[in-house]
Amino acid sequence: MESNKKYWKGIEELNRTPEFVEKNKHEFAEPIPIEEILSGDGLKSKTPRRDFLKALGFGVGAVSLAACQKVPVHKSIPYLIKPEEVTPGIANFYVSSYEGSAILVKTREGRPIKIEGNPNDVFGKGGTSAGVQASVLDLYDSSRLKNPMQDGGDTGWSQLDSFVKGQLAGIKASGKKIRLVSSTVNSPSTLGVIADFIAQYPTAKHIDYDAVSYTGIIQANQNSFGKAVLPHYNFDKADIIVSFGADFLGSWISHTEFSRQYASNRAAKALEEKKMSRHIQFESGMSLTGSNADVRMPIKPSEEGLAIISLYNALSGTTLPGSKKVSDANTDKAITLAAKELLAAKGRALVVAGSNDVATQVLVNAINALLGSYGTTIDLDNPSLQYAGNDAEFVEFVNEVKRGEVDAVFFLNANPVYDFYNAKDFTEALKKVKLKVSFAPYADETASLCNVVAPNSHYLESWGDENAVTGYYTIVQPTINPVYNTRQAEQSLLTWSDNPVKEYYTYVRNTWDKGLLSIAGLSGQHGWETLLQTGFVKAPAKAAGLYSFNRDLNAVAQTILTHSSQIAASGDGKLELQIFESPNIGDGKKANNPWLQELPDPVSKVTWDNFAAMAVKTAEKLGIEEGDYITITANGYSIDLPVLLQPGQAQGTISVAVGYGRTNAGKVGDGVGQNAFPFSTFRNGTFQTTAAAEFKKTGALKYVFAQTQTHHSYEGRSVIHEGTLAEYKKAPASIVGKGEGKETYDLWDEYERPAYNWVMAIDLNACTGCGSCVVACTAENNVPVVGREEVRNRREMHWLRIDRYYSFNDNGKTVTKEKEINKLDDLDHVSVTYQPMLCQHCDHAPCETVCPVLATTHSSEGLNQMTYNRCVGTRYCANNCPYKVRRFNWFNYWNDSRFENYVQNEYTELVLNPDVTTRFRGVMEKCSMCVQRIQAGKLKSKLEKRPLRDGEIKMACQQSCPTNAIVFGNLNDPNSEVSKALKSERTYYVLEELNVKPGIGYQAKIRNTTELGA
Amino acid sequence: MRNISLILKQFSRTVLLVAGFAAMGFTAHAQGDAAKGEALFKANCTACHKIDVRMTGPALGPAISSETDDKWLTHWIQNNQALIAAKDPKALKIYNEYNQAGMNVFTNLSDGDVANIIAYVRDDWKKMQTAPAAGGATGAAAAESGPSDMLIFGLIGVIVIALIVILVLNRVVGTLEKLLLKKQNLPEEEVEEEEVVKVDRLATLKKIAKNKKLVFFIILCGTIAMGSWAWVTMWNTNVHQGYQPEQPIKYSHELHAGVMKINCQYCHSGAYKSKNASIPSLNVCMNCHKVVKTESPEIHKIYDALGYDPATQKYDSTKAKPIQWVRIHNLPDFAYFNHSQHTKVGGIECQRCHGPIQTMKQVYQYSPLTMKWCIQCHKRTGVNGKGNAYYENMVSIHDRIKKGEKVTEAEMGGTECAKCHY
Repeated sequence: MESNKKYWKGIEELNRTPEFVEKNKHEFAEPIPIEEILSGDGLKSKTPRRDFLKALGFGVGAVSLAACQKVPVHKSIPYLIKPEEVTPGIANFYVSSYEGSAILVKTREGRPIKIEGNPNDVFGKGGTSAGVQASVLDLYDSSRLKNPMQDGGDTGWSQLDSFVKGQLAGIKASGKKIRLVSSTVNSPSTLGVIADFIAQYPTAKHIDYDAVSYTGIIQANQNSFGKAVLPHYNFDKADIIVSFGADFLGSWISHTEFSRQYASNRAAKALEEKKMSRHIQFESGMSLTGSNADVRMPIKPSEEGLAIISLYNALSGTTLPGSKKVSDANTDKAITLAAKELLAAKGRALVVAGSNDVATQVLVNAINALLGSYGTTIDLDNPSLQYAGNDAEFVEFVNEVKRGEVDAVFFLNANPVYDFYNAKDFTEALKKVKLKVSFAPYADETASLCNVVAPNSHYLESWGDENAVTGYYTIVQPTINPVYNTRQAEQSLLTWSDNPVKEYYTYVRNTWDKGLLSIAGLSGQHGWETLLQTGFVKAPAKAAGLYSFNRDLNAVAQTILTHSSQIAASGDGKLELQIFESPNIGDGKKANNPWLQELPDPVSKVTWDNFAAMAVKTAEKLGIEEGDYITITANGYSIDLPVLLQPGQAQGTISVAVGYGRTNAGKVGDGVGQNAFPFSTFRNGTFQTTAAAEFKKTGALKYVFAQTQTHHSYEGRSVIHEGTLAEYKKAPASIVGKGEGKETYDLWDEYERPAYNWVMAIDLNACTGCGSCVVACTAENNVPVVGREEVRNRREMHWLRIDRYYSFNDNGKTVTKEKEINKLDDLDHVSVTYQPMLCQHCDHAPCETVCPVLATTHSSEGLNQMTYNRCVGTRYCANNCPYKVRRFNWFNYWNDSRFENYVQNEYTELVLNPDVTTRFRGVMEKCSMCVQRIQAGKLKSKLEKRPLRDGEIKMACQQSCPTNAIVFGNLNDPNSEVSKALKSERTYYVLEELNVKPGIGYQAKIRNTTELGA
Repeated sequence: MRNISLILKQFSRTVLLVAGFAAMGFTAHAQGDAAKGEALFKANCTACHKIDVRMTGPALGPAISSETDDKWLTHWIQNNQALIAAKDPKALKIYNEYNQAGMNVFTNLSDGDVANIIAYVRDDWKKMQTAPAAGGATGAAAAESGPSDMLIFGLIGVIVIALIVILVLNRVVGTLEKLLLKKQNLPEEEVEEEEVVKVDRLATLKKIAKNKKLVFFIILCGTIAMGSWAWVTMWNTNVHQGYQPEQPIKYSHELHAGVMKINCQYCHSGAYKSKNASIPSLNVCMNCHKVVKTESPEIHKIYDALGYDPATQKYDSTKAKPIQWVRIHNLPDFAYFNHSQHTKVGGIECQRCHGPIQTMKQVYQYSPLTMKWCIQCHKRTGVNGKGNAYYENMVSIHDRIKKGEKVTEAEMGGTECAKCHY
């Protein structure tokens, strides 16, 4: 049964708007005026002949001049004294850790150039998030502070130290308060340094402040079970997951780990056992998690509380006071259904909510206790330490500052002037503080108001440790000397508090020698060296205890409902506003990273911007079109944002991503989007991310998003296969419709592949669409960043893109005909499929046959090779590629001042992979199947005189994937992982009817929508 | 000193292994294995010793052959400092003879290793004496005259021939004219002829210029000559064969690699491990030049670069400034080349591409480094697959290798674009 289901990438494709149709006619945004020349009098006039002669003369002259050129003198400067472990040309790998997960840092000649996951890391097991991959670029960011600053001018460290110490001594004598504000610190050594600092200055206090806060969950656990912790969730143990607005695959707490867990229960391995977890999501805006859900119900923020109460009622059989049905009948049905399924899977169920409201989280705790989740899917005894921010404490701190009680404040990895909801008040109050010190590596919004900036070193330049989950300690070790004149914040604190330990390195060593090393049975110098090779120690996990919930829920329900009524928008010109953390930019601390800015948002596919996401129906009602600017006003703050029509968005709501609108982020991040943090409020002791907002259409011109979703069109050909779990169980092969009399024919002789046939398998059921692979590919292959304007021109350079397809799922019926999709109501309930698309390395590659200069050819190992130095830029290949994966260099990105702010300046070019050429203007490029890695892997085994092992060579995309969706290997070897993966009944080849014989097999998406009642 | 110990560390594994076998197989004074000794000798001794000539240390051939007390020798080699400290008379004599410059301590060499080295040195010394300097046949291929030279000679030849032809033709024309005149018997002309002689040669030139055939011929030759010159020049654009830049230090490969026979890898340590052969860092030079030729102004350039004061033997890193060598072999950025692939896997000698490096006082680019040159070699050279288990899973190729057939690099896909361009 082959699917005729309609897939579309955006509203414009669905409606076939004239611009869309026009743009899709052409391969490139700006067509070459060949026809005008041919049809007009171009050829008849005399100029072409003269021009031709001129060009000829110039060409001959240029070549003659080039021939006269003397040998250009290249200098070669060896080390004076070569470090023992460095061999030029060979990469070294060092263990380190980023945001608590163990990583490997690849360095070449002493420069870190790529981050790879540590295969033994408990979170990603070698997979990483896009943020981890991109973090290496920040090291070379030319916007970083190059010197310590005092009163806005550069200074030296010794002057700075004496100034700060003098001030602190004065404050200590006066007995006024000292405050150290940081985003969550879980490093044992850093916490030790802070404790020592406080011991030296007893009026000091440390406050954890997270811009995107999880205080709600921590407080709720304190409230419900007497444990103020962030639990450790086990999505892999859950057979049914119900989430209320928690984007646990994209941004919520430990999303990389959750992605891995989530996929492990849904992808190939689980499916082989005909098993797959079920995932029901209730949310307002379409999140990455929601787009992966089996059933997704859009609900307004004001109804979320009600929905959770309804679920509780359905599960417990009681009725909490004030509860009523949710307004949408479908949602109500879905809640009943979820309750039934949850009850059937007691002990294997998990309910999570993204809200930071204590009451909501208490109710979720009650639900999970009812379902017996504690001890199985939720672990309170090995809690996560990734977020420990205390909102109330921070607000109290702001009040202290306002009252003038604080004389010194230190900001460590915290930027409240940008991300605190009441930044205006805070900025005003900050003037009263005598000594303001920021450790920010940039002159960010907060740092620029401080009189002292002691720039912290990048983590790749630092010693340190982290403890992201109980019992798991990772080490941070430097892989390069500080690029700029920076110093670790801990070192500064040690100096300022006259700590007997002078060096932070010694401090870290002491921490490990005294306690942490013994966890793994290590000790002494040998133990330390072992740690520097393994990267972490892990204590055996404590048994997860069972917890029962026995608190009165009446008051809780009341709080939730009151809260809901506060954010309910009623009347004209009002909508419910929800702000969220986007998977790419996060809370805005990574806003100056061009790799992350250029990575399309997984769902909207917008780059370099945030926007007001709105349901199509709502926009229609209000007479708003895509790109129209609206002024959003809530909590006394207003911004102008362009509207994006987002299928799946709950009607009557607007979603806006935080992390944008930085004003002092650096050259890349400044002025990208608008700041949405001030829309949050402080309610019931925590920061809340929902509000009732007024909006007004402004008269401004329509905004054109740099949105990649429809850039590469298949002209409506079917490239996706999917099915339901029921269909899969019944007849696995039916999903992709195999064996229906497909003829294969060959115009060419079969290629001989004596040794290898490199192929890839991509499991669409494992792919969550997070985009980590895209950034990994960018880092590995020196893919340039082109910026917003060029993305608008459809000239993004990513070799690997993730296509996102919408399709309609109307009450379980698949919508197959054009006329059926005219009901815009359905846009609330769309299914989403992600498909990573890269060069398919076809055996009958259409690009190869049209290249007039043989710049793209086939190798005896099954690779479609692109030879840049042969390419003359006819672009015929791109025109002839059915997958649209070839990219043309419209500029000399690496040496063009227009692109300097992104990656192409004297600092950031240090991140380039020296094994891969940077491409020049006028040259076509595309995925090379990381041929440099293949060659290196083969050479390694030749040098070691042994056959190449399966799995030894890993593609950059494969390596970074937290869900192991990508498998690469040799098809000639029947026992290789990839051969096994491709034998799956779900395997299909995109556009295989073209008989181009692609080398990449996709495993069709399976949805667990057996009893879909939505 | 530190660096010597580093090198030792690198070899220690091999050494230990050899030592293990030695301990099993040999008694304390058993005859050593000269082959194993050679490797050890090259790894540990060549920095300061040669077999036939005195370097930093004594010429080992005569020294070791004349010393019969192997036990003492072993002690000396393993830990000479201990012998000196114990005031051993023989040890003190050598120590004083060499200005009290202490030899490195090789405690990591086992008795078996030392026996191997001694065996090798004695063998080699014996060989050298039986075959006294039979003309150091370098074995290096005579430098080919490059195609560009050929073309230039050819061009000159063409021009010379053309001139001769012109001259001959000129003569012929002249004679013919004379004959014609004679036949017509025009006396006036003859009178005039006498005057012509006075009018000088311009007239002849004018006459020649009027000869259309001749002019055409000259122009044709000129065009051909210019054309071929332009073609050759353009064809060789950016081919820098023979490029021989002045280097900041007058380092002679002839002396180090040729006369002293120092192994290439001693300095170019990356050549068998990495993509880059790598120019040695100065600490490698200092292994010897701390004591050798300390007075030379060229060696002082090394000291200056390192901030090293030979008088106090102290380093001052604040004065250090790197040496900027001029790169001779420049491959374009879009071509990937890996030394270890060719040296270690392919078993190709350095000289194959770098030419008779051991005779070069100043290094020049021996090979053209063009893609044609690469491809040609890939097409002609057999794969060095013997004993390399890597090739076992390439069934067809492995079978042919086993049969002893030649399988070229090109047949292995070695001429495909993405083998070098990515």
